[in-house]
Amino acid sequence: MLLVLIRAVKGPTVIDRLVAINVIGTKSIVLLLFAGILFSQLEMFVDIALGYGLLNYIVSIAASRYYQHRKSLEPVHAQQGGQPS
Amino acid sequence: MEILAYTLISTGLIFFLGTTIGLLRFPDFYSRMHAAGKGDTLSTVVILLGCICIVSTQGDMSWLLGLKILLIINFIFIGSPTATHAMMDAGNKAGAEPWRKDSK
Amino acid sequence: MVLFALISLSIQNLMGAAIVFGAYSFMMCLIWAGMGAVDVAFTEAAVGAGVSTVFIVSTIYNTSATMRSRPGGMAFKFFIGVVVTLAGAFLLSALTDFPDWGDPNSPVNATVVPYYIENSIDDTHVPNLVTSVLADYRGFDTLLETTVVFIACIAIYSILRIETAKSKTDETEEGITSPPSYDPSDSLIVRQASRFMIPFMQLFALYVIAHGHYSPGGGFQGGVILGASLILLAISFDLKFLLRHWREKSLMLLVASGVFLYAAVGLACVFMGGNYLEYGILDSILPGDQAMARSHGILLVEIGVGITVMFSMVAIHINLASNGRFDRGL
Repeated sequence: MLLVLIRAVKGPTVIDRLVAINVIGTKSIVLLLFAGILFSQLEMFVDIALGYGLLNYIVSIAASRYYQHRKSLEPVHAQQGGQPS
Repeated sequence: MEILAYTLISTGLIFFLGTTIGLLRFPDFYSRMHAAGKGDTLSTVVILLGCICIVSTQGDMSWLLGLKILLIINFIFIGSPTATHAMMDAGNKAGAEPWRKDSK
Repeated sequence: MVLFALISLSIQNLMGAAIVFGAYSFMMCLIWAGMGAVDVAFTEAAVGAGVSTVFIVSTIYNTSATMRSRPGGMAFKFFIGVVVTLAGAFLLSALTDFPDWGDPNSPVNATVVPYYIENSIDDTHVPNLVTSVLADYRGFDTLLETTVVFIACIAIYSILRIETAKSKTDETEEGITSPPSYDPSDSLIVRQASRFMIPFMQLFALYVIAHGHYSPGGGFQGGVILGASLILLAISFDLKFLLRHWREKSLMLLVASGVFLYAAVGLACVFMGGNYLEYGILDSILPGDQAMARSHGILLVEIGVGITVMFSMVAIHINLASNGRFDRGL
């Protein structure tokens, strides 16, 4: 997972970072289940893992919608009204 | 049953290693997203199938736990490729150029 | 985790920083899960790594996306660096005075905790100690926390909401009868996948609220997941689609009704002859003996908290994403 983090740091475009965070999120669900097996109280950790799997999806979709509306990868400087298209 | 679980988990980890190497070495972000979307989902599903095998060998209410882990597999199987598709769509609309073999 | 924080502070592009901030939030959740505080980990995963990142993205959508560098030169930054380091070192030096983690002789573990561990199941029939302490033994705190969430929602609403005359006529004419119109360049796959996932999210959130007595969860976490399901509806479809089904007035009324439910349960206890929020008195109208009445009281209170948190999240998202105008948005 630390190797994926290197991509999050280096990524020349912002969407690289988004991809890396998506992968880290999915693998963290697996990490939570392993922590549950190690503590031998798997019932608690399964609920958290299920909840986080659903929320990871929302963050990816939200960030992608931002770029779909903005239509450019460069950061936008403050305009006069600050309103999108 | 335990041997099956360990085999599945180690296979999943090998897939994840391949995903990470692909994520680091591909030249363009579209190809990186191929590696991330496919490899990540597949490795997670395989590891979680191994977890179901582990869970079914210990504990008494294990069928409920196995059902919940099956639900997690279901959501990741549907949600993660859709998220990859949305990100690729966003990258396309935002105008990122795909890498060609002869350009730099 | 420190690595994540440093990365997120150093990225100039604000969107990248926001995304890494979401991952930092999730690392905190893993640390808390490692320590054994499962309820806190659940709340942090739900709020920090889910809904809070969506709020930050919505804010960046409506404002600029770079950090403007402050004027002031190197001397000013050095001064600020020294001040912050001194304050941090001062706070960290107080850490050495704390008892060891998990020490059975520390003041909390020796006197307060054994009472809860021994008496909670007999008093309230609730095996999850965190829920029983949160909603029964320390019920006033939870009431005021819910009020704080409610006030935050109202504050954002009152600062950002702009009512223009044009938007009113827009909403009444086209709001109800026109067929849903999606942007044709939007993706069909995302819509269908969200349409599959949203009912499961709501069912899971209702399970988390109702099962808070036995497993980590409770009102707050379930409310956040319910709110996140409606935010997913707003993101993957259009914002107007959400507004067509949940009008603004009903949203605001429902936010208030959660706090009202909590306070009304307390008042009902007063009417039956006990103290405020003493659920044991309610055993004449609720089934079961006094301990079961406390368990039912906790459930009612958690439902109130869940309702308020759910609609607060939705209202804050609509305000942030559409910049107060309530028509278009992220």
